[in-house]
Amino acid sequence: MSDSEARNFTYLAYGLIACWVILVAYVLTLTARGRRLTRQLDNVKRMLEDRESK
Amino acid sequence: MGLRDKIMIGLGALAAVLLTRNIWVMLTGLPDEAFQGAIFRIIFFHVPAAFTCFLCFFLALVAGVVYLVRKNLQWDAFAVSVTEVGLAFGAINLISGMIWARIIWGIWWTWDWRLTSMLVCWLLYAGYLVLRRAIEETTERARLGAVMLILNFSVVPFVFFSIKWFRTQHPQPVLFGDGKMDEIYRTMLYGNWVPLLLIAAVLVMLRMRQENQQREIDALRRAAHSF
Amino acid sequence: MTFIRQILTVAAKDLRSEIRTKEAINASLSFALVILLLFSFAFDPTSETTREIAGGLLWLAFAFAGVLILNRSFARELQNDCLDMLNASPVPAPALFLGKALANYVLLVGIEAVCLPVFGVFYNVTWYTHLGQLVLVLLLATWGITVVGTVFSALTVNLRLREIMLPMLMYPVLIPCLMAAMRLSTVLIDGQPITGDDLAWLRLLIGFDIIFTSLAVVLIDTVLIG
Repeated sequence: MSDSEARNFTYLAYGLIACWVILVAYVLTLTARGRRLTRQLDNVKRMLEDRESK
Repeated sequence: MGLRDKIMIGLGALAAVLLTRNIWVMLTGLPDEAFQGAIFRIIFFHVPAAFTCFLCFFLALVAGVVYLVRKNLQWDAFAVSVTEVGLAFGAINLISGMIWARIIWGIWWTWDWRLTSMLVCWLLYAGYLVLRRAIEETTERARLGAVMLILNFSVVPFVFFSIKWFRTQHPQPVLFGDGKMDEIYRTMLYGNWVPLLLIAAVLVMLRMRQENQQREIDALRRAAHSF
Repeated sequence: MTFIRQILTVAAKDLRSEIRTKEAINASLSFALVILLLFSFAFDPTSETTREIAGGLLWLAFAFAGVLILNRSFARELQNDCLDMLNASPVPAPALFLGKALANYVLLVGIEAVCLPVFGVFYNVTWYTHLGQLVLVLLLATWGITVVGTVFSALTVNLRLREIMLPMLMYPVLIPCLMAAMRLSTVLIDGQPITGDDLAWLRLLIGFDIIFTSLAVVLIDTVLIG
């Protein structure tokens, strides 16, 4: 048994990775939502401008 | 770039620096814990994540109450942002705890009171988000959401006490109670809470901005339809 | 005095309409019995283990049955805008809420009273050795279920997915109440009185009832009227 195995380094790594994966996943949902919102905002604004110019 | 963005980037950068430093110290500076080996280092994320989670839930309660008093939708945006971020940190707490338990206890999950309580709290607040999704009208959503936050937070102590009486195999709480922790470890525990809090703050700010954006879109849509 | 009369009026109205249509009672009672039947397949119902899990089994059945009653409580008023009329009537929201909670309470206690002997027969359990204490636990825990359930029933009444949302939101909040009830009923059905450590569960149950009743009364105005 190697030293790193004896000290459970693998699972420490898994633990830390899991923490960051969760955070990154949350950030990704945030950016996805942000992008969707920006697109919607643009659409609505364009729609309003169209109506006003008519 | 507005002041808000600058603050967010500043806080994020500070968090990154602190985290890098903490992880470096954790891996090179701290000795292994006598019985657990290297794996005990998960605690430096596990416990601060739980703190952050409950701080978020508490802030959500405050935001809910203030919303009911002031009827300012800004507070509702804050409540939902804080709850979401709290849930993210709650998930970190649960998952990192499970990985630790796999090594130390040999099982992924046990119905110990702290695990179970955390899971119940997580479900309670996930319910809040589900409730919000089901309501379309903005003020109604904010109002009922705030009520739900108050009910949720008042059940949390009951959950903890009742589940505690079903007995425990979790290590004693390291801060109060019988569990003893060496000074350097304790410093690191609190030291690592700071960057996590900073990250949480940045996420909350991001999420709040989206909530405001959403409201702007809704308002514009209403305006468009009223022509 | 008027407040109490208003509560009783609302409760009587709900009970009367429920007894005439019997839509919630029938569904709920048969559901509870079906669950009790189903549990008999989950394990060997004659063995010693039955007594160890008796409380849990009983309260799961009651909690499931309760949802069916609670779901109807406010939803019943949606037709013909009855809920708006009730809100506009001189009955204050807390009285309306307590009246509805009382009606649900009576119905649920009635269902429990029918289920308990059936449970005793099905699972060969002598549940009546400490009848007084068991009734006390039953009454306290059922009040906890109804008071929390009625708040959530009001909270979810206007939602599209009302039937799914109510149990999903309600059960996590009820966990402490149900745990106490399960624990105490198991002890009582096992033939021992409530003593020592178990008194803490009783106190928890009472505390739960008091806190959530007062919270509900304070918050119901916000829920119903805003």
